[in-house]
Amino acid sequence: MNPLDGVRADRRRFLELAGLGALTIAGSGLLAACGDAKTSSGPGTTDKNQLAKILPAYVPSTAALTPDIPSAPGANGFFSTPVYLKYPASPVATVTGVPGKGGSYTTMTPLWGSIPSSKGNTYYDTVNAALGADLKMQPADGVNYDKILPPLFAGSKLPDWLMIPSWNMGNLGFADAVNKFADLGPYLSGDAIKAYPNLAAIPTGAWQSCIWNGKLFGLPTYYSAASAGGAIFYRADIFRQLGIDANSIKTPADLEGIAKQLTDPKAGRWAFGDIFDYTAHIFHFPGDPYRWTVDASGKVVNRYEMPEYLEALNWFAKQAKAGYVHPDALAGKKEEGKQRFWSGKEVITGDGTGGWAGSDAESGKAANPSYEKQAFKLLAADGKPAMPMNPASSMYSFLNGKLSADQIKEVLSIANYLAAPYGSTEWLTVNFGKEGVDYTMTGGNPKLTEKGSKEVATTYQFLVTPVTPVPVTPGYEQVAKDYAAWEADMVKHAVKPAFYGMNITEPAQYANLNQPMVDVSIDVRYGRKPISAFTDALQTWKSSGGEELRKFYEDVKNKYGTGQ
Amino acid sequence: MTAIHEAPPAAATPPAPPTRAERRVLRKADRRRRFLRDRSLVLMTLPAIALVLVFNYAPMFGTVTAFQSYSIYAGFWHSPWTGLTTFQRLFNDPYFWHALENTLTLSLVQLVLFFPVPILLALLLNTVLSTKIRTFVQSVVYLPHFFSWVLAITIFQQMLGGAGALNQFLRAHDMSTWNIMTNPDTFKLLVTAQVVWKEAGWGIIVFLAALAAIDTQLYEAAAADGAGRWRRMWHITLPGIRSIVVLMLVLQLGNVLTIGFEQMLIQRFAVGRDASEVLDTYAYFYGVVNANFSLGAAASLFKGVLSLILILTANKVAHLFGEDGLYRR
Repeated sequence: MNPLDGVRADRRRFLELAGLGALTIAGSGLLAACGDAKTSSGPGTTDKNQLAKILPAYVPSTAALTPDIPSAPGANGFFSTPVYLKYPASPVATVTGVPGKGGSYTTMTPLWGSIPSSKGNTYYDTVNAALGADLKMQPADGVNYDKILPPLFAGSKLPDWLMIPSWNMGNLGFADAVNKFADLGPYLSGDAIKAYPNLAAIPTGAWQSCIWNGKLFGLPTYYSAASAGGAIFYRADIFRQLGIDANSIKTPADLEGIAKQLTDPKAGRWAFGDIFDYTAHIFHFPGDPYRWTVDASGKVVNRYEMPEYLEALNWFAKQAKAGYVHPDALAGKKEEGKQRFWSGKEVITGDGTGGWAGSDAESGKAANPSYEKQAFKLLAADGKPAMPMNPASSMYSFLNGKLSADQIKEVLSIANYLAAPYGSTEWLTVNFGKEGVDYTMTGGNPKLTEKGSKEVATTYQFLVTPVTPVPVTPGYEQVAKDYAAWEADMVKHAVKPAFYGMNITEPAQYANLNQPMVDVSIDVRYGRKPISAFTDALQTWKSSGGEELRKFYEDVKNKYGTGQ
Repeated sequence: MTAIHEAPPAAATPPAPPTRAERRVLRKADRRRRFLRDRSLVLMTLPAIALVLVFNYAPMFGTVTAFQSYSIYAGFWHSPWTGLTTFQRLFNDPYFWHALENTLTLSLVQLVLFFPVPILLALLLNTVLSTKIRTFVQSVVYLPHFFSWVLAITIFQQMLGGAGALNQFLRAHDMSTWNIMTNPDTFKLLVTAQVVWKEAGWGIIVFLAALAAIDTQLYEAAAADGAGRWRRMWHITLPGIRSIVVLMLVLQLGNVLTIGFEQMLIQRFAVGRDASEVLDTYAYFYGVVNANFSLGAAASLFKGVLSLILILTANKVAHLFGEDGLYRR
């Protein structure tokens, strides 16, 4: 049997997924009625015919491997991520020669963690030497990235290569923002991409989410065939200690039932962190990046108008008032949430699935040797579990529109190197730097040295990424297995939310509508204000632009469908 | 800061009242003489003037966005002019008036509860005779000034928060807990307490300097005349620092609309928008965060103009009472 078959099959399935209805409409097209007359493009999305012309061809990588845990098929064409427990002993090279021509480019990517020093950074030096170009890495604080971006655009201080996550686009008026970037269509659409084999191995679904206003602007990063908005995690070791069976927890009522037992303020332990944002799939209201959906009668509704949203608010407010939520979480100390979970001060927390990794287990065990993190199988308020999927890719990088054609070609060659698949020599360099200095092979997997853990951060990977398997940290293989098992179960309940993968850009004048709702929603769920305060705010929201925004979404629905 | 301690100009007194033309010539000559005399001092202010020009005056150009429908993609030159529309929107926004109201009440609370603290602290320290103890106490109370607000509030949260040291102690002894960090009703007192903790020590510097400038002979003479501690304070110390107190008060009034931005931003989710929204956070959330720069600029311009009026009025009042205020008339 060909050892490469496994992954190929997965990728083929990924391609199938891309062809499904979900992705028939992504991107652009001007909605004249709501558009901004001053600009050539505007709010809207892209139609099917346009898409076919823009999308790059897909050529699977020949360097693929057989996974130890193959991906599991799920509902609606989604499937889970494969796991490779050991890195190949003799990695293959996928790029011949040096991709760069000695060019110098500034980059900016978000980073959720401490920012490494660029002085004497062997990791940066090693990767740049391999790239044959000088990429000036400028990672910026991921938590405040949304606040860093508008001044950057306003000051015309855009770097040459910039990553923007989809959840930071809402306030940017993205239909106008993309005009600052280079149109990659002439270089990548159709067969043109075959000049960059590693980019050509990126599944079509990921490219589809990189299209705005009928043009291919983005390079996808960390895409997946089943991207969930997050999960509800619990401390399995504490559950065992208290004799609670996590499998018996199926509804929010069940959660509430164990909250009293889990909460012991004297011991400094509370049942919950601020898990509200992660309860969207439990109560079935749309979570970010989707704020709109279509109700049973076919009417377009905002999540704030849904009874499901009210139910979730009420549920969380009840936990907060009963004293089951950690007081620091109720003081808005979000950034310390992980610490509280590691040290067992919060037993149940919400987080992105990316946070379920060996590095997390390492930090957790440092705080508490018995630390074990697990995620609940999907809970559901109505007993019908469902996980709405995020678009295949929700983080993209863009090239500055001021770059010349030659520079764009050089950058794309560099991108081709960065997109080298798992199992290649390039992948090791991009992710781990220099062997013996930044990492050593331990038990068949690369492990960062002390120097490496200070220097290596997710930076190049946020410019473009190959198909990414579940990461495995030496010594924490079980974490990867646990994650794979959870994901295999989760994809069975995967659904496409309304407006799935459509990259809709809202008219800018409605940007301020959301803030008062965010504020009042926090007031209510932290138990500071009654639910009536929320319904009052909703009336104001409707009359001050909410109804107009609904009309905008109804137009999108009528012209382009809902992406489901 | 200002020219309070500067020697009065040594202008010559003309023997007979000069004519208007003569006066002008004299004034001119006088000005030139003063400039020649003070040229090194004037030279020394140049870097400061450059700093103010570059960082305070040049950015004022940005206030044009308040009169535009400013798009970050079109820039200053291509954004359409909208006249006073943004201000209309601003003044019709109840959230804006709420932010203004919050700012003013908070300022008032801080004026009453915070402003006197450094003065009292300085008077108290001034009575300590041992230099060692004085330096030590001074260093300790200065220290919090150098903490960032993030750190200061984290310390408050660790001490007084729902899971902080105090409440864990209360729980351990089966007493009811005290919720101060997330109570919107007492938030104004909390932020004032935080300001006192962080800034009072720093604030005493200028008052201590003023106290040190009082001639000790006055105290000796008063003591010799039989004045007690309180009489000496009332008749010598307080009049001695009165002009500084008035100056600081005038400056404070110019700042009433600038209430700790970071402090409010960090605690916004702990107490909610209603309690914590001030003009600066309003401009930030509705201007910068939502990329609606025109609205943010309008709110900030409104604040700037109002602050200028306040500081000029306060200065005028100070002059009426015969004080120097910001500058000598």
